[in-house]
Amino acid sequence: MTVTVMPDMATGTSRATLRRNFWRGVWRVLCRKPSRMAGVIIVLGFAVMGVIGPLVYPANLPRDDNALYASPSLQHPFGTDFEGTDVLALVVTGARYVLLTGLATALITVALGTLIGLFAGFRRGGWDSALMRLTDLNLAIPGLPLLLVLSTVWKFTSPLEMGLVLGLLGWGGVARAVRSQTLSLRERGFIEAARGLGLPTRHIIGRELLPSMAPYIAMNMLIAVTGAVYAQVGLFFLGVLPFDANNWGVMLNLAVFSGGALTTPSALPYLLAPLLAILLLTLGIVLIVDAMDEIFNPRLREE
Amino acid sequence: MKRLAAIAALASIVTATACGSTGQENAGQGGIYTTIDGSKQINASAPINPFNPVGSVFDGYNGMALAWPKNDPIDPNQFYPAIARSWTITPDQSEAVIHLQPNARWSDGKPVTSEDVRVSIGLAYTQGGTAYALDPKAAGAAATIQVVDPTTIRITQGANKSNTFLSNLLSTVVVPAHVYGSLLPRDFWHTLKVAQDGKGAPAERAKTEVTGLADKVIAFAPSHDVSAGPFVLERVNPGAALLRRNPYFYDNKLIGPDKVELLNYSGNQQIWNYLIAGKLDNAPFTSVPSAVLDRIRSVRGNKVIKGFSPVSTSLAFNQARKPYDNVHVRRALAYLIDRAQVTKIASPEGGTPSLTTSGIHAEAAKVWLGSQFEGLDPYRLDPAKAAAELKAAGMTKRGNTWALPDGRPWKVEIHVPASFSDWISAAKSITSQLNDHGIDATVVTAADYTLYLSELAAGKYDVGFWLMGLGPSPYNIFQRLYGQANGWQMFGGRLEHVAPGTEGNWMGGPETVTVSGTKVDPGALTSRLNFAPPAEQKQIVGTLAKVSNEQLPVIQLWDYVNTQFVNTSRYTGFPPDDNEALRLSSGVWMQLGMIKKRQA
Repeated sequence: MTVTVMPDMATGTSRATLRRNFWRGVWRVLCRKPSRMAGVIIVLGFAVMGVIGPLVYPANLPRDDNALYASPSLQHPFGTDFEGTDVLALVVTGARYVLLTGLATALITVALGTLIGLFAGFRRGGWDSALMRLTDLNLAIPGLPLLLVLSTVWKFTSPLEMGLVLGLLGWGGVARAVRSQTLSLRERGFIEAARGLGLPTRHIIGRELLPSMAPYIAMNMLIAVTGAVYAQVGLFFLGVLPFDANNWGVMLNLAVFSGGALTTPSALPYLLAPLLAILLLTLGIVLIVDAMDEIFNPRLREE
Repeated sequence: MKRLAAIAALASIVTATACGSTGQENAGQGGIYTTIDGSKQINASAPINPFNPVGSVFDGYNGMALAWPKNDPIDPNQFYPAIARSWTITPDQSEAVIHLQPNARWSDGKPVTSEDVRVSIGLAYTQGGTAYALDPKAAGAAATIQVVDPTTIRITQGANKSNTFLSNLLSTVVVPAHVYGSLLPRDFWHTLKVAQDGKGAPAERAKTEVTGLADKVIAFAPSHDVSAGPFVLERVNPGAALLRRNPYFYDNKLIGPDKVELLNYSGNQQIWNYLIAGKLDNAPFTSVPSAVLDRIRSVRGNKVIKGFSPVSTSLAFNQARKPYDNVHVRRALAYLIDRAQVTKIASPEGGTPSLTTSGIHAEAAKVWLGSQFEGLDPYRLDPAKAAAELKAAGMTKRGNTWALPDGRPWKVEIHVPASFSDWISAAKSITSQLNDHGIDATVVTAADYTLYLSELAAGKYDVGFWLMGLGPSPYNIFQRLYGQANGWQMFGGRLEHVAPGTEGNWMGGPETVTVSGTKVDPGALTSRLNFAPPAEQKQIVGTLAKVSNEQLPVIQLWDYVNTQFVNTSRYTGFPPDDNEALRLSSGVWMQLGMIKKRQA
């Protein structure tokens, strides 16, 4: 008896199975530690906040002229700001700019860093030298002073503009790490085999090398989000970026310098609310990175 | 172990010295008076030189002027004696005679003489300034300086007279000729004469030669402090400057403290912390939020003194840009801004809401204008009037939002420097109020004040915050509205109006306006304030206040209140509220016999 196997169907089925198994694995890893699930919930919560937060509140947030720097209450869980605006509403509506900047920064950082690192590591020789000198140059750029100077001529009104600059300044580390990984992987047997089979470079890089580095790249991407959040909030805190009352950095600035939050407790909730948001977002990302580490690294799996 | 203990002890001494204090001091019965210098931060590497903007010379302590200005709301020529014991000026203000303190001595024991004043004036010429302008046609420029005797000096004013001549003259900083004299070349006075009275290339060469000395004067670093003030600099580090008593000060018996420690600060927050810790015997004007003020007040001995401060904050328009060229638009905005609310949010303790826009601080305006002040439009919050004004300007309402006459969206951008937190709060409050009334308004910040001023002068902003009412001289007050920023400039002694967007004319107002049926040139009137007799000055101030009120080149938001802090647990005798010396340093208060050690 002969069995005829339809090659395409077999491939399709095996891919679907792989995908199904992968997500089952992800679910298992997430369920193993409640903290990981908490991380996913936190990040999803921020994503929802960023997408629908500004739609929940009116464009001009209501103010209470008789409740400037009001203490936390049921009506205002984090009190009010200098104008009597609910601080929670400011944090929620301000999340979009912060998250979009973080996302744009992470995408640019990872895309540029991976592309340059992969190409330099795989091609070696002159290309490697040239691209690594470019990477050295990028790593040598003092990011904060440059941003301070740039802010005098560029207003960064859009989160994408901010993300673009932060991303262009931050890809060096990823490029260098990806290059090291590529140099190590390209000597492995499966790459040698792929070369021996005469597979095109695009296939070797895209289908053989990249999937092996995907976990590392994905983790870098998440960590880049936190870096971008710190950088932009820091710049807004320093007051060098345009004023937007619901920007978390602006809130920190006004709480400290205008409200005296570090001197008296009245403006403390106004200071703590954006700080708590930044802390939670970072925590959520770190917990997801922990889960990803186990998902992509079979040796860490605890069966 | 002993060595370790010795190193630890040494390290603790070094740390204590480096961290915001000059360390343990042995002061006599007068004690150490601790304060800050409100005009500058401490720079330990700066020279002990008053011509250097960051120099370690502090007004009233080791820095002395001929006299100290009183905080008079309208008269700029009211002064307390300092190095000058008395002075006289001719009725036409053409000649001033200054008599020095007969017992004044420098901290090295040498007498303070007319020659010191002459050298100080020579050095002031290198820096430029109103009384010491090289252009002989400049209003209020000194023409001749004549030493009459060792304690008398006569100074004449040039042909273009100014009412502020005496005031500028008495503000001259006095330095010792035996220390600074070598900075002036031997032929300096001849060169100065050629620069002032000569013509053509030689005069230009002489002017370049005099102004070319500016950098040398600023950089000059004497090896030690030689002061004619009540104190002399003992040492300075990045955290503080310590000054000890000058035994040769002419009124030494009036000085209470033995030493003065001026603490450095990086911002208001640090001053608040000093005050909460009860460290400061006095802190000059410092912006404070209400909650912080309450906390400062609760500290034992801390008290708040308040008084007149001839400064106001305003929202200024670039009238070269649409729709702000239309007076109806400016009036509409004035009717939509609740100034009391803005002040409550931005400067609850350091300001009072402006009663109206007159160009002058309300307290000075009441004296200048009398009953006329009540007749000015107060521009109280009135959305109906605002809507009528906007319609009169041709603005249209689309849905709930106002649009430009051609239908394009109207976006009001209010510019403020990022470092001024009270202005940011005020701008945000204004945008919120305008948004409530259908005007799309946002706040835009500039990274720092220098950048803000340069972009403002370049005409890049439509609407921005602007300090005004800088009295007491009426000329200085209206210069802020009808001076260089609005196109009026002196060229070779002649007043000209330059086109908007050029030569720093960012306000872009018209050269003439019609007020109550009369055509007036506000810039020319302002210029006349420089030399007009008092009766005419009053008349001009009345006209300019009316012009400002009707034309609204700015919307006056709040008038500042000088809010100072003192601690009476170590010293007493501080000036009371509204005292004429309130805006002067503690050093000057001591010279006036005010500060005394509290007796146990």
